[in-house]
Amino acid sequence: MKTKSFTVKVAGEGSLADSIIAQLRETGHQLEDQSAVHSNFDIVIETTNLDIDQKKKLLVEIEKTLPKETVILSTCLGVTATETASWLQHPERLVGFAAFFPWEDCELVELAPALQTEKENVEKAKQFFEEVGKEVEVVEDGVGLVFPRILSLIINEAAFALTEGVASAEDIDKAMMKGTNYPMGPLRWADHIGIDDVYAVLAGMFKETGEDRYRPAPFIKKMVYAKWFGKKTGRGFYQYD
Amino acid sequence: MTIQTVGVVGSGTMGSGIAQTCVQHGFRVFLYDLNDAIVQKAFTQIKKRLNRLVEKGKMEEQTFQDSISRIETCTDLSLMKACDLVIEAVPEKINIKKEIFQALDEHCPEQTILTTNTSSFSVTEIASVTKTGERVAGLHFFNPVPLMPLVEIVRGVKTSEDTLKKLAQFVSSLHKDPVVCEDTPGFIVNRIARPFYNEALKIAGERLAKPEQIDRIMKKAGRFKMGPFELQDLIGIDVNFSTTETVYNSFFGEERFRPHYLQQRMVQSGKLGRKAGEGYYPYEN
Ligand SMILES: NC(=O)c1ccc[n+]([C@@H]2O[C@H](COP(=O)([O-])OP(=O)(O)OC[C@H]3O[C@@H](n4cnc5c(N)ncnc54)[C@H](O)[C@@H]3O)[C@@H](O)[C@H]2O)c1
Repeated sequence: MKTKSFTVKVAGEGSLADSIIAQLRETGHQLEDQSAVHSNFDIVIETTNLDIDQKKKLLVEIEKTLPKETVILSTCLGVTATETASWLQHPERLVGFAAFFPWEDCELVELAPALQTEKENVEKAKQFFEEVGKEVEVVEDGVGLVFPRILSLIINEAAFALTEGVASAEDIDKAMMKGTNYPMGPLRWADHIGIDDVYAVLAGMFKETGEDRYRPAPFIKKMVYAKWFGKKTGRGFYQYD
Repeated sequence: MTIQTVGVVGSGTMGSGIAQTCVQHGFRVFLYDLNDAIVQKAFTQIKKRLNRLVEKGKMEEQTFQDSISRIETCTDLSLMKACDLVIEAVPEKINIKKEIFQALDEHCPEQTILTTNTSSFSVTEIASVTKTGERVAGLHFFNPVPLMPLVEIVRGVKTSEDTLKKLAQFVSSLHKDPVVCEDTPGFIVNRIARPFYNEALKIAGERLAKPEQIDRIMKKAGRFKMGPFELQDLIGIDVNFSTTETVYNSFFGEERFRPHYLQQRMVQSGKLGRKAGEGYYPYEN
């Protein structure tokens, strides 16, 4: 797909890939055939979060087809940008970013250079996101960056409270909206984002830091095994038709 | 029996807000405090706030007159015996609360429901000084009471279903939204909101992003109305820190709630937020 200055490919699993493609289409960007064996991309966006081995495999495969100037924007929800860059032949091309689904709802995208990233690639990434209508905030590299990390912990706490029987899911969501002005209740919000991506952040933080503070609530872990990913699979904290 | 008369014990920030909301929705209120000067001051505050609604055309003069005529101020706790429901909103000191509940349990007939607006104590502990505990529950309003639509109804270990049912009806008749929750630290909101502040502080402490950046990100990527640092400035950083400390201690040191030293430094420095003219941001007072 073509933005004003870049030829872009979107790859990877997770809710984000489809919604990025959809938004680029909607905003009138020309879409190129993703299956074409065509390697002249300026930017590759990669969005796998839940399965880090899969993410690594995918990136290693993709990189083989790319000229070394191509910038890779990879989500750092479950892993740092720096670790992701370490898998590459050309680690300096990698820029981490974080956003949660739904993509069209976020006005702002967080970018994080890996330790290995070359400065000009951060600039390129910034320019790209600004061209597709997003504000950009550059922060330091860390699992989940800022918003996904904070929201995932709120959701984790809501899941602990739910399984401890503190209140019903509906009442927990209602309380957070009416008692402290949250734009959405945390459990319904998790269903919208995708439990897989929320879990990716928690598991990634837990693995990275070893701190008990990030231990995923057992119920969230079970939901991932059961593929209760939320709205997109028909079942999460709530049921959907 | 439906609730018609409400006793409010403690006429401070929360008590006066609760009393105002009750009379606005047709309840008779006995407003109690330690002495007449305090309780009269609270009454004057309530009249001022209601009068502002009249001036803005949001309330009829007659409604105003009716509302204030429903308030009776008092300094004698035994008058609470005339109430169907008592809401305690005295300072967050466990001994004061226990003393009051012991006295209320003696004064009030069996059918009077006794509730506490405590943010951090166990309702079960407060109820332990009463004979059965069945008529005791938490009724946790949010500040400012006339504006915030949520009330957490907290079920102590011995609270009866009947008590909870009547409280839910009462909250609905104030045109507020009741949620029922178990007697657990921080109840719902103060517990689940902890990471919003705590993790933001940890991220700032790790120098991954600056407070201003975190606020911007949470508003623009997350659609929160205010960022975690702005909101601490508004609430009072000391108030927020003490809520975190209480929840942390009530969970016996659970790591998820561990307070951050950065926030403690703010408290120690006196940069408490808007009320101090400076917090994470400067304010012109
Ligand atoms: N302020 C908040 O944002 C907020 C929010 C939710 C719950 N709460 C809870 O509400 C309760 C009251 O808080 P507040 O902010 O209104 O406090 P406050 O200090 O504004 O008011 C307390 C009132 O109680 C009176 N008082 C003191 N000792 C008394 C006694 N022995 N008997 C009767 N009255 C006595 C004081 O004179 C004062 O008028 C606390 O339990 C607090 O945790 C506060």
